[in-house]
Amino acid sequence: MFMEFENVNYTYRGSRVPALQNLTLRIPTGKRCALIGQNGCGKTTLFLLANGLYQPQKGTIRWHDRPLRYDRSSLMQLRQQVGLVFQDPEQQLVASTVEEDISYGLYNLGLPTHEVARRVQQALIEFKLTELAGTPVHHLSLGQKKRVAIADVMVLRPQLLLLDEPTAYLDPRQTRNLLKLLDDIQTTGTTVFIATHDLDFVYCWADWVMVMDQGQLVMEGTPQSVFAQRQIMEDLELGIPTLLELLAKLSDPENDNYAYDQSAIGIEKLQRQILKSLKCL
Amino acid sequence: MNLQIDTFAYTNRLRRLPPESKLLFAIVLLLITYFSTILVQCLIAAWIGIWIIIYAKIPASVYLRLLSVPIVFWLTSLPAFVISFTPLQDLVTITQDAAYGITVFSHFAYISHQGIDQSVRLLSQTIASTSCLYFVLLTVPFTDILQTLRRIGFPVLLTELLLLMYRFIFVLLQIAHELWTAQLCRGGYRTWKLSMNSLGLLIGQLLQRTLDHYHRISQSLESRGGAGEFRVWHSRQYHLPDRYRLESLFGCVTLIGLTGWAYVHGI
Repeated sequence: MFMEFENVNYTYRGSRVPALQNLTLRIPTGKRCALIGQNGCGKTTLFLLANGLYQPQKGTIRWHDRPLRYDRSSLMQLRQQVGLVFQDPEQQLVASTVEEDISYGLYNLGLPTHEVARRVQQALIEFKLTELAGTPVHHLSLGQKKRVAIADVMVLRPQLLLLDEPTAYLDPRQTRNLLKLLDDIQTTGTTVFIATHDLDFVYCWADWVMVMDQGQLVMEGTPQSVFAQRQIMEDLELGIPTLLELLAKLSDPENDNYAYDQSAIGIEKLQRQILKSLKCL
Repeated sequence: MNLQIDTFAYTNRLRRLPPESKLLFAIVLLLITYFSTILVQCLIAAWIGIWIIIYAKIPASVYLRLLSVPIVFWLTSLPAFVISFTPLQDLVTITQDAAYGITVFSHFAYISHQGIDQSVRLLSQTIASTSCLYFVLLTVPFTDILQTLRRIGFPVLLTELLLLMYRFIFVLLQIAHELWTAQLCRGGYRTWKLSMNSLGLLIGQLLQRTLDHYHRISQSLESRGGAGEFRVWHSRQYHLPDRYRLESLFGCVTLIGLTGWAYVHGI
């Protein structure tokens, strides 16, 4: 097993509600994993724990079947193998130009300058950042910053890439580009694990979905099987992807019990249109 | 949110010149302004103006606006330099110096020749030396300055601090700008009293957010394996065309020559 959480508890200092409560979770190798759940369900905490930034107060986290160790060199190694892309790229970019920022993590690994130069140049090409190489970070757009933030982490060649809400604040075009980028990363053999609110994105992209609520894993499985549990998804107030909603509506046009969210009106319109065109055939 | 000066530093035409050369050039000129006469100072100011506006292609309006800053400071100190007071009984001692004067109660207020002379000297020196400074600010990006500092063996701790400060000035500015816009939208600056209140809130919030930001940044530095030293790599390549090399060399020698000549002849 790749990365494994076993009965992990974590409570923030000064908070009475635990952020993670007896969480047991396994991240399978090589899959496109998505983590969904409401705000405050512990997704970010999970990532910070996986990256060794926090230590669990109870339970164990295993990486390649070994419990995490928190001494300097083990952490260094862990953070090279498990890359974390924060939600806010502003938080992650620290150097003044794009190429300098990408090189930062490589120097921290202790690589010699010529190797750093080679890898930075390679990353600039891979992530289509060549033209921005000398641009100061504060002159970039948000989509570009996000791209740089992912390049920063990918340049270290991690085995597991954690992304916290990567589509937040991105426009549809930037989201599409990001999807393409994640696909490319996936094909190089890196396992991608994404925390997100974007169900449509999950439905299109993921092949394994985990659902968290109040610091616990509620459900996991393929998108089809998870989203088939409509009742649970509705109880958690997460809903299901628009496409599936439409499909359900089409297969059972009379039933409108589950017209509960804002997309319901749009779906009804679409349903009428589809039924109309079907009749025309 | 961008600082305009910073944007110019990254986009000007002299960007590809080696930063060391540009810094050296500015330092030499600055030294000359300290030891030279008004004439040479005016020449330096004009020459740097040419470098900034024509060679670096910084819009003249921007440069002139920047130059107006020291001039405003000079104007505010002008009265103190030019106007002098003396008791009426000592009037005899200053008749040579007074250009124009009036009696104010038991004192005599007058515009002094010496003061005028001094303030003109100050103006030329101010303009010449600030234009040297602006040359650096407008044509050398901050990263290049840092790179140069590292090369000449400046303490690592200080260059890292400067780097982080530089990066976060922009984050802070952005947060401040966003907060300010939000307050403005909601009518926070309608009256003087409200403005003061909003400003107080803004400053308080800034402090809080800065701390929050600091926490998150240190988290991400740690996540990226930050282990003490902050090292980065860049691929910039610099080139100093002979044309600039010759012009700067020739110009500096001429200016030094002029300064020396003025000393010899006691001007």
